[in-house]
Amino acid sequence: MDTLSPGAGPIDAPAAAVLREVVARLQRLAREPDFSDAIDLHSLPLGESGREQLRQRLGQGEVDCALQVAGATRICETAYAGAWWVRHADADDRTQHEQIVIARVPALLLAHSDDIGDAARRLAEELAAPACQEIS
Amino acid sequence: MSQARLLGEVLRERGVSRRAFLKYAGYMASLMALPPSAAGAMAEGLAKARRQAVIWLSFQECTGCIESLTRSFSPSLEDLIFDFISLDYQHALQAASGEAAEEARRQSMRENKGKYIVIVDGSVPMGDGGVYSTVAGHTNQAILAETIADAAAVVAVGTCAAFGGLPEADPNPTGAVPISQLVGDKPLINIPGCPPMPQAMAGTLLHILSFGKLPELDHLHRPRAFFGENIHDRCYRRPFYERGLFAKAFDDEGAREGWCLYELGCKGPVTYNACASLKWNGGVSFPIQSGHGCIGCSEPRFWDRGGLYRALPTGTSDVRKVIGIAAVAGVALGAGAAALARRRSAATRDAAAAPPAKTPSPQE
Repeated sequence: MDTLSPGAGPIDAPAAAVLREVVARLQRLAREPDFSDAIDLHSLPLGESGREQLRQRLGQGEVDCALQVAGATRICETAYAGAWWVRHADADDRTQHEQIVIARVPALLLAHSDDIGDAARRLAEELAAPACQEIS
Repeated sequence: MSQARLLGEVLRERGVSRRAFLKYAGYMASLMALPPSAAGAMAEGLAKARRQAVIWLSFQECTGCIESLTRSFSPSLEDLIFDFISLDYQHALQAASGEAAEEARRQSMRENKGKYIVIVDGSVPMGDGGVYSTVAGHTNQAILAETIADAAAVVAVGTCAAFGGLPEADPNPTGAVPISQLVGDKPLINIPGCPPMPQAMAGTLLHILSFGKLPELDHLHRPRAFFGENIHDRCYRRPFYERGLFAKAFDDEGAREGWCLYELGCKGPVTYNACASLKWNGGVSFPIQSGHGCIGCSEPRFWDRGGLYRALPTGTSDVRKVIGIAAVAGVALGAGAAALARRRSAATRDAAAAPPAKTPSPQE
């Protein structure tokens, strides 16, 4: 067992290593606002208990987003600004993939420019359609 | 049939946003042990790719491979692969039959000349002129030769296609051979397993689509991302092996306590596959977790290796001796596999140029 900080309770060594990685990347994000990276939790020898320790330690921040994109995704900012917990689930709410994303905003939340261009075109076409003419 | 338009455009019209591409790419990058930062490039490559024409040929097989690909996934993230490919010919799935089905195959070959991928499951019978398996009156060998002539690459899925599998098992009454003996110099990927893991099949196709080249392969033409580690090294029962705690029978105390299944014939130490890390049925379990040793189904000639329940050649009176002998057995079997690969690869130009013991570089 490894103790990350006084009073914070014990935490397994692999989870502590992940937290130190989070610290290093947050420091870089503070210097470089465009920096973005992710830590893939399922490729690490953490196990469910290790991931739960990380969840508890990182806590819950101000932002909590739910996405319905090819299954359910939840993106929560942790109690540490710039560190996000991203969980993808299947139709039975079983976790398929989990990451800690370090970024000002996770890329998955941003609308892609191609989708925005398509949205502008569609809305313009809908407004131009006779059914949408303004009432004078 | 495949389409000239970009996947990003085609799927956007169906309500699939670029977020879905990014999410899928992130998921697959994780499975393939790529850095998370690769997901963005993978998603961009995928969105700019054309829908990949795929012709799936089924020869001496049991349909388990296509079942593995289509039935294991929940209808959400993972089945997106079927939006990225155009499966133009597949016996079990296509609506067309008879001459219409064969014409669909030929039409795809004409329209996608030099660009389509041929997936094969099942071995090819060569005995007695190939009469043991025919489709529409043609031998499997003839259909394979005709179909791969203008293919970009061949993917042999399942152990029957990759290594001969059960049809090739002694005494091999049909003269079955693996696809590697019949593809000449076509780029070949083997995705063995009985059945193969669905993630390995989908991930390999996605890699080709996103990056426009084959993934890195081992000396048996298997994608290293999924076949780079053996079952034993990733097995959660490995600590029992190290401590010399082995189940001696399937209903003894050791079995109930979850000890190592080495003495019950587990082939995990000499089997390269991702079952222990990715697991099956949505990550629920894998054979060893269910109490049965690995049968080594993703390795060449697994059926003829001396019995599924016979332990690898060693005793367990001295655990250090066990580990040492197991290591030697691994080397010896690995060398045998390498020799087999050498013989098979002799017929192919690219593999002949790469010694089995050497780490191959990614193929373009």
